[in-house]
Amino acid sequence: MLATPAPPPLPSLVDARRLRSQRIGRALRLWVPAGILIGLLGICFVLPLVVTLPSSTNGNIIYNNEAPFSPGHLLGTNVQGVDIFSQLVYGGQLTFEISLSVTLIGVVIGGTLGVAAAYFGGWADAVISRVLDILLAFPALVLALVIAEGLGPSELHLIWALAVFAIPAQGRVARGATLTVRGLSYMTAARLSGTRPWRIITRHVLPNILPGIVTFSLLGIGIVVIIEGAIDFLGYGIQLPQASWGSMITQGQNIESVQPEYVLIPSIALVITVVALNMLGDALRERWGVQ
Amino acid sequence: MALVQQIQLQREAGARDRARRLTGSPALRVAGRRLLSAIPVLIGVTFLTFSVMSLLPNDSAQAILGLNASPSAVAALNHTLGLDQPFWQRYWHWLVNVLHGNFGTTLEGGSVNHELAIHVPTTLELLLYALVVSVALSVVVAALAARRPNGIADRIILTVSMLGLSTAPYAFAFLLIIVFSVKLTWFPVLSGAVAGPGSFFKNLTLPAAAIGFGLFAIYTRLLRADMVDQMQREDYIVTAKAKGVPPWRVLLRHALRNSLFTLITVVGLNLGGLVGAAAIIETIFQVQGIGNDLITGISNHDVPLIEGITLVFALVTVFGNLLADLAYAVLDPRIRYGSSNS
Amino acid sequence: MSSLHTTDALLVVEDLRVSFAAGGREIRAVDGVSYQVDAGRTLAIIGESGSGKTVGCRAIMGLLPGTAAISGSARLRGTEMIGLSDSELRRHRGQDMAMIFQDPARSLNPTMRVGAQITEAITTHRKVSKSEARAQAIELLRLVRIPAAERRFHEYPHQLSGGMRQRIMIAMALACRPKLLIADEATTALDVTTQAQIMELLLELQAELGMGLILISHDLGLAASYADEVVVMYAGRIVEQAPAKRLFGAGGTVKMRYTRALLDAIPHLERPAHTDLPVVGGRPPDPTALPVGCSFAPRCPAVEDDCTAKEPALAEHAAGHRWACYHPCENGVSA
Repeated sequence: MLATPAPPPLPSLVDARRLRSQRIGRALRLWVPAGILIGLLGICFVLPLVVTLPSSTNGNIIYNNEAPFSPGHLLGTNVQGVDIFSQLVYGGQLTFEISLSVTLIGVVIGGTLGVAAAYFGGWADAVISRVLDILLAFPALVLALVIAEGLGPSELHLIWALAVFAIPAQGRVARGATLTVRGLSYMTAARLSGTRPWRIITRHVLPNILPGIVTFSLLGIGIVVIIEGAIDFLGYGIQLPQASWGSMITQGQNIESVQPEYVLIPSIALVITVVALNMLGDALRERWGVQ
Repeated sequence: MALVQQIQLQREAGARDRARRLTGSPALRVAGRRLLSAIPVLIGVTFLTFSVMSLLPNDSAQAILGLNASPSAVAALNHTLGLDQPFWQRYWHWLVNVLHGNFGTTLEGGSVNHELAIHVPTTLELLLYALVVSVALSVVVAALAARRPNGIADRIILTVSMLGLSTAPYAFAFLLIIVFSVKLTWFPVLSGAVAGPGSFFKNLTLPAAAIGFGLFAIYTRLLRADMVDQMQREDYIVTAKAKGVPPWRVLLRHALRNSLFTLITVVGLNLGGLVGAAAIIETIFQVQGIGNDLITGISNHDVPLIEGITLVFALVTVFGNLLADLAYAVLDPRIRYGSSNS
Repeated sequence: MSSLHTTDALLVVEDLRVSFAAGGREIRAVDGVSYQVDAGRTLAIIGESGSGKTVGCRAIMGLLPGTAAISGSARLRGTEMIGLSDSELRRHRGQDMAMIFQDPARSLNPTMRVGAQITEAITTHRKVSKSEARAQAIELLRLVRIPAAERRFHEYPHQLSGGMRQRIMIAMALACRPKLLIADEATTALDVTTQAQIMELLLELQAELGMGLILISHDLGLAASYADEVVVMYAGRIVEQAPAKRLFGAGGTVKMRYTRALLDAIPHLERPAHTDLPVVGGRPPDPTALPVGCSFAPRCPAVEDDCTAKEPALAEHAAGHRWACYHPCENGVSA
């Protein structure tokens, strides 16, 4: 008679080290970009309050074309003697203000429209979807440029012009996410049990679509940053002498063959910002399991 | 059931079947429905275009008569041109003209149609160049990445594509210029006319690369994510492996096939955004396309030109979406061949 | 007396263990499983979802993701499968051992014609011309009793019914005449009539080709009707193992409480109307936190103190019949 005795407790077959490195990797991918973004925001918004920076608009022509790390000018000065680091900081303020406002407007208005369209369906959906499609089909850049040209360039105009682009984008995402949630069984159960639409939306729909909207918004902020830079670059956005990252690139292009850092510095700032946003979006998507 | 009702039902069913046979394959029906729903969008787009442009003062009369013309002469010409009519009348006239293919006259007196005819092909060439190369490259690179998720190749590719997504085309363009035009002098900084394959590549490669890098990044990420998802989640992948099919073949013949659908949809949807990027890149490289025209048109307040170009852009976007939907309907055998008929 | 190694043995599995790392914790999906399948015989592996029945067989086929840690032995006709590299295993997959899966709708590539999917199975292992492969594929379609085989060859999976899709799966699996066929819940997604048809087909083909057949299922009735030998799994371990005749039918002596509970849960016509179904209370144990002692103890109606103290060993208490229980059922009924 063959007896297989009860097996002794299993020494772990799976590498504990690998498990730990998986966990560390995941945490890093979330907190490093988050840290970078917080750092950038801090530099742009908090630093000027604490430290007096040289003017970002007026420069002493005597000190022009200073190299980076010269005394008093962390990143040097440009052709007119304006401190580059200050330009970066104040330009960054504008960039963040604009992109965050645009995205917020997009989420609030577009999100409401999208959820309403998906939840109530029927005519509401048909009409809202068509309107969103029309807005999306329109080239955003043209709209922003025309508004700037026709009404005069200002930060507020820029925000509204770009919001026209963000609203339908967010609306579509919100609509798609709500449609998915709407099909779930517990939603039908809630509806059948007579819960009022408002409660269903706030307690069931919103918490479930929020992760998708947040991750998309992070991507969206990045896109707005780039487009806003493009508008400044073309000369239609933030007007000189106020600095913006896009206009710094424009100024830099004239002499980039001689001193490429004028183009490189704001470009690098742009890239770092958008990369951090994208990485954060990816990491959050990973953590929350959003598609 | 009463006999009368039965006969009625049969007749209805017969009519339905006849209608179904008349409208042909399911793909055609899907296409038809999509086209129909695109019409209100197109109309809305024309309306939006026109109303946005009315933000700009239309100086056509002034430009024609010259700066020294008297205000009354300008007003008279304005009246003749119909520029002082109320909004809806102007919109209607413009719309009718557009539907007849007449986009009006530019500020300089040329015909907008003519401008479009000359410059649209250039922009098309540029965009197609960028699209084709970025899609082809992204398929190859994504396959390499998806072969071993989280492997070395994958990590490198993900990093590079992350950079690609995050770099503004206009900033990247400068990098390209510095490296390839100034230091290496492989390509000219400013694009000349395109007249044949040699000048095509010489003049359009850098601009296409500037646009294409971002596209390549997006497509690569998308394809890679989709393929990895298929390989890890889909049951038919397990079946293929169970048959003993080698990993490369599973990736390419099974996963990629199905991932291409998502890619096509995204390419179609992206078409609209391409247009904005094209405008900027054309300006930087001085490519004589409609993007460049648009930018100069806006600064000149050349309303008819801007209207025409914007409309073309918007049409491209709408058709891009349509094409994406249609491609899906045609390529996905589930839609093409309809439901079970066993 | 049953010995673990007979000369007819097609597949001999010894102490198979599979673990995963998920969310930072270890999951022991299969915890020391041993059994044997002979050519021409049918083994049924029965268990709930999460019992490890599928994972074990996939481990033998090499179809688990790379994060799985597999140990133990699984010898197919004397060749050890555990520990082989993927390229080595690939030579055996489809050719010596094949597997068919639960949901034929999802298990077939929706964008590929079924004929092409079958010829792929052939050309992966044999060097034949395209027309030869096509001829063989059509022959296979006839083998699995699909009418109008020539026409079906060019169709897509969604154009076929569920039963026909499963036949396609079987045709693909048998393309290279494997010696071992594993059917992983192959009939679960089908309606009852089709189920019977597919099972009959499988048994006919088994007889024709002399294959060993492993049926994985949660359906004890399936095991009763079609299996020669039955293995019942719970929480990654085998809890009862016996020839089917010993367990089912008249004079059946089911020993393990879990198996008994499973049997009792099958509704019979003879039951008095309007009585409660004796379902197995509770839920399957959390694989990351298995209880001390017998893993079925929390749900067992006849649990005693020694059950929760130390895990009962799987021992052959009667001829050819093994179980792991301190207080098994007497005379096939719950005490």
